[in-house]
Amino acid sequence: MWLTRAGPPAVAGGSSARAERIGGGAPHRLPVPTVPRAARAARWLRSAEVRHQAWGYLFLAPMFLLLVVFKFIPMIQALYLSLTTYDLLSPPRFVGLRNYMTLLGDPLFHQSVGVTVYYVFGTCGFIWFLSLAMALIFNAPLPGKNLLRTIYFLPAIVPVVVYAVIWQFLFHPYGLLNVALHAVGLPAIHWLTDTRAVMPGFILAALWRFVPYFMIVYLAGLQNIPHEYYEAAAIDGAAGVQAFRYVTLPLLRPTILLVVVVSIILMSKVFTNVLIITGGGPDGATRVLSLFIYQTGFQFFKMGLASAASIFLLLGTMTFTLLQLRLFRDDARG
Amino acid sequence: MPAGRRQDALYWCGVLLVAGWGLVQLAPILWMISTSLKPLREVFALPIQWVPRPPQWANYPEAWNHFPFARYFANSFIVSASVTVLNVLLAGMAGYSLAKYRYFGQRALFIAVLSTLMLPIEVLMVPTFLIVKSLGWLNTYQGLVIPVVADAFGIFLMRQYLLSLPDSLVEAARIDGAGELGTYFRIVVPLSWPAVLTLAIFTWRETWDAFVWPFIIITDDSLRTVPIGLQRFQEQYVTTYNSVMAISTVAMIPMVLLFFFFQRAFIRGIALSGLKE
Repeated sequence: MWLTRAGPPAVAGGSSARAERIGGGAPHRLPVPTVPRAARAARWLRSAEVRHQAWGYLFLAPMFLLLVVFKFIPMIQALYLSLTTYDLLSPPRFVGLRNYMTLLGDPLFHQSVGVTVYYVFGTCGFIWFLSLAMALIFNAPLPGKNLLRTIYFLPAIVPVVVYAVIWQFLFHPYGLLNVALHAVGLPAIHWLTDTRAVMPGFILAALWRFVPYFMIVYLAGLQNIPHEYYEAAAIDGAAGVQAFRYVTLPLLRPTILLVVVVSIILMSKVFTNVLIITGGGPDGATRVLSLFIYQTGFQFFKMGLASAASIFLLLGTMTFTLLQLRLFRDDARG
Repeated sequence: MPAGRRQDALYWCGVLLVAGWGLVQLAPILWMISTSLKPLREVFALPIQWVPRPPQWANYPEAWNHFPFARYFANSFIVSASVTVLNVLLAGMAGYSLAKYRYFGQRALFIAVLSTLMLPIEVLMVPTFLIVKSLGWLNTYQGLVIPVVADAFGIFLMRQYLLSLPDSLVEAARIDGAGELGTYFRIVVPLSWPAVLTLAIFTWRETWDAFVWPFIIITDDSLRTVPIGLQRFQEQYVTTYNSVMAISTVAMIPMVLLFFFFQRAFIRGIALSGLKE
């Protein structure tokens, strides 16, 4: 991947040339103090350095404005709303930290956090290992590799609503999952109505979709490892498991960390399939945080309480994103 | 050599295992397609009939005509195309600014841009909804498009790519009098084609597949996109499995086509999306 190859910004040449231009201008100013201020300002504005800076800002501005309106302002507004009660009809009323107190004492919120953590770590624990194993297999010579890889990858490119619809169908009491269980002599499971079975079902569905997804990320990392390393290791007598232990794993470390963090963040945003398949039931056993926020805000119109819940979700994902940015920086440096 | 033969046998066992598991992975999709071609009373018939005989093709037009799916596809197309064009254009320019210009406050602005990557719509759905509402954009195309364009992943991707592009190329174009816009559009964009294509495919896929945002702001049926239309259809005809599966199969086709035609850019986008999520 070219991203990992991108070196540090190559600015030395350009900026020193500009510095010369600025420096060259300085002694110039002394002999001509009588030039009117306006003319001086006009010349300064025409100077290459200012034009350069202005174009820099101009190129950034449109996107930056959009980010301000649709990311920064909403963020501030979420913080503000979380301190109010607001039902969309009457104006927001300041209540201090009451929403946070309400959430901390709300068993439904506790359940929602618990369900989210269960889902996130239940899926990620499997994803980390299974997708690596799958990537290792596909990194080896295989007959019909392209076809096989496409087949494995198909679940990851299915639209998310189709993914939800397919799995709701699979979870049907007479669906494919129970047919398969029956075929190997196991009793049928009530995937959608049994509070203990529903989350493992969702985890199974997530693995079907996301193991191939993260396999792609791992595969990109594996293909970045130069072949010479394995040849050198082979000369030293390391092959198979040993080569994996002493060559692949250490060199794959940045990718592994990336997958760990990204999968956690991606899973904690789960919404669509839960909404479609169970709507949070049975008994709130699948009411993940984003669904809790949606229901609180858009079904009960408690915008303040929903915002406070968003802040909790944000704190969770932010921790991992910061971690990831940090890791990425280290990666770029090393 | 017996050892070699044993290893060969092991290897082919592994290949068989991989292929077999591939079939398991594929089974849900095959089941969807085969169900879409069955009469309703045979949907759960055992043993499973993978190739329905005769295939009931009429399920497709029947399901398609229950809801205005042509309209939904047109909407999805309009929204995805607009978001992709605008995002690639604006994110590319912003990434270029951050990679090839030097100005006061650049580092702080870049960090500000990066920080928005941790604010997905799932977190900001309430305030973003309120802002779009106050702009009067509920149930409009601009409401579906503009907030989605505001995504920093492209800035980040383009900046990283452009950093690896030699400064001398840009300087040379400027000295040749190409002008700032000319330098960007005629020199930089053609040179960063792989990154532009990756970003375009990635954005298209994300937008085509977006559910949460249109779900929140669209109540007008004539503005629904395919994911929302499919969800509504599924809600209403939940037990008409063959129809639901027929529509799902149709909804899957554009994504599969996109994958086949742009496989490399598609996969590169996913491999890089780690930087986004």
